[in-house]
Amino acid sequence: MKRKGLGFYLRIYGKILAQDIKSKMSYRADFIISTIGMIFTNISGFISFWILFRSFPGINGWGYYEMLFLYGFSLVALTPVQCLFDNNWSLRMNVYSGDFIKYCFRPINLFFYYQSEVFDIKGLGQLAFGLGTLIYSWTKIGLGFTPLILLKMIVFLITASLVMVAMQNAAAATCFWIQNSFYILDLVTRFKDYAKYPITIFSPVFRFIFTFLMPIAFIAYYPSLVVLRPDSVPLLSWLSPLIAVGFFWLSYKFWMHGAMKYNGTGS
Amino acid sequence: MKLKKYLALTRAGIIEALQFRLGSFVIVVGNLLYLIVVYFLWKAIYASAGTDVVNGMTFSDTLIYLALATALFNFMEMYAVWEIGRAIQSGKIVLDLLKPMKYRTYLFWSYSGSFVTNFFMTFLPTFIVVAAVTHGAVHLGLNLLWFVVSVVMAIIINYSIDFIVGTVCLYTESIWGINIMKQVIVLLLSGATIPLAFFPEGFRRAVECLPFQSIYNAPLSILLDAHPEPKKLTMTLGIQLLWCVVMTVISKLFWKVSLRRITVNGG
Repeated sequence: MKRKGLGFYLRIYGKILAQDIKSKMSYRADFIISTIGMIFTNISGFISFWILFRSFPGINGWGYYEMLFLYGFSLVALTPVQCLFDNNWSLRMNVYSGDFIKYCFRPINLFFYYQSEVFDIKGLGQLAFGLGTLIYSWTKIGLGFTPLILLKMIVFLITASLVMVAMQNAAAATCFWIQNSFYILDLVTRFKDYAKYPITIFSPVFRFIFTFLMPIAFIAYYPSLVVLRPDSVPLLSWLSPLIAVGFFWLSYKFWMHGAMKYNGTGS
Repeated sequence: MKLKKYLALTRAGIIEALQFRLGSFVIVVGNLLYLIVVYFLWKAIYASAGTDVVNGMTFSDTLIYLALATALFNFMEMYAVWEIGRAIQSGKIVLDLLKPMKYRTYLFWSYSGSFVTNFFMTFLPTFIVVAAVTHGAVHLGLNLLWFVVSVVMAIIINYSIDFIVGTVCLYTESIWGINIMKQVIVLLLSGATIPLAFFPEGFRRAVECLPFQSIYNAPLSILLDAHPEPKKLTMTLGIQLLWCVVMTVISKLFWKVSLRRITVNGG
């Protein structure tokens, strides 16, 4: 069979997206309430942040606005996983009930088809909130603005997103082997809340763990150093795009491996 | 005789919870990671603050408070909103309503089994570890007794709030959004994420007038206070009792009124 190009997949994605949004719009009240819920989450996150750091000049050499920058960075970086890969949350139910088998019979990439089925619009509120925080802290720190810095920003935001997506994929895929994988997915999702703190607050052992074993340091800390502290960028920051692609590729392979050995439930 | 039917539900809940041991294991691991992050974060905060006591709380006070708040959260979280919401959406609620027991009571007691298992598998280990790590900063005396009394009332308040929010699902048919709003509000305003002592003065006063602080802040402050003034203790417990009664009555009435307009699609 001929390999299908990027254009083909984009066109398909557009079509599936339109269907998904149509079906979401038929439950308008639910959509509005969910969006408000999402806004609540962001506001409460911000209030916690504000309460915590309002009375302290900074932690570990990180000023208030630099912390805010990290916070905004992590919010923006987490948008793709929220918007594009939300169907990972239903994977467990689909596998359990046997519905997952229908995805296995489509003549397009299984992973692509499964993830494209749901687009979570409420993630866009988070994007707006994160961008606002980012721009506000950006001007307060006085980082300046050049096309190069914007390019760096985009590259490293994508990096951060890929890491989070990879973690979620891997966590969701565990459901092909174990029944009650909700807790694992939930656990990984809770990790992302810790991504907004500079890794330097941890002791060396946990710095290692959070860099290599549970790579949450790549969701905000390492990538944002490139923009935030351009004079002393560690090697890991420059390597992070490669690492992110690697993580993503591994998680994809893991996910597909699970999907390929899926037998269905016989129903 | 009357208690026997409730205890049967408790027993069934324990057996059910023991079926999902992996879930408990992951919860313990997740808590451990959370505690590690909290430990380093607050250590860094206290290090930058330059004083040992911030807002009347020492570092070990804060650590005990937050560690036990998480343990309490896992212990008390009943996902009642999800349960009610799903029962409404699937139509299962019809069967539950036919049971020779009030729905509110039935739901509570069918969760009571997981109280027992969660107590032994998550709360007790956390408590012992925290007491050991902080070298006896937790006073073991009469305050433990008041703590237990306070937790029981906290469970009742928490359940009533859950039940009220679950009842709202009868009107909205949206679960995720409603639940996330509730969770965010309860966790922030009850002092589960940040001790109320750190809140700005005016904000704290306002929060103290709401029922939420009776869920986490009240039991934890009773536990941490080795030699409470009788007046303060009575005040805290009295306020809890008041909210207990008020929230129970509201949730019962609201359910009674709402049940009239229940619509079930098939089922």
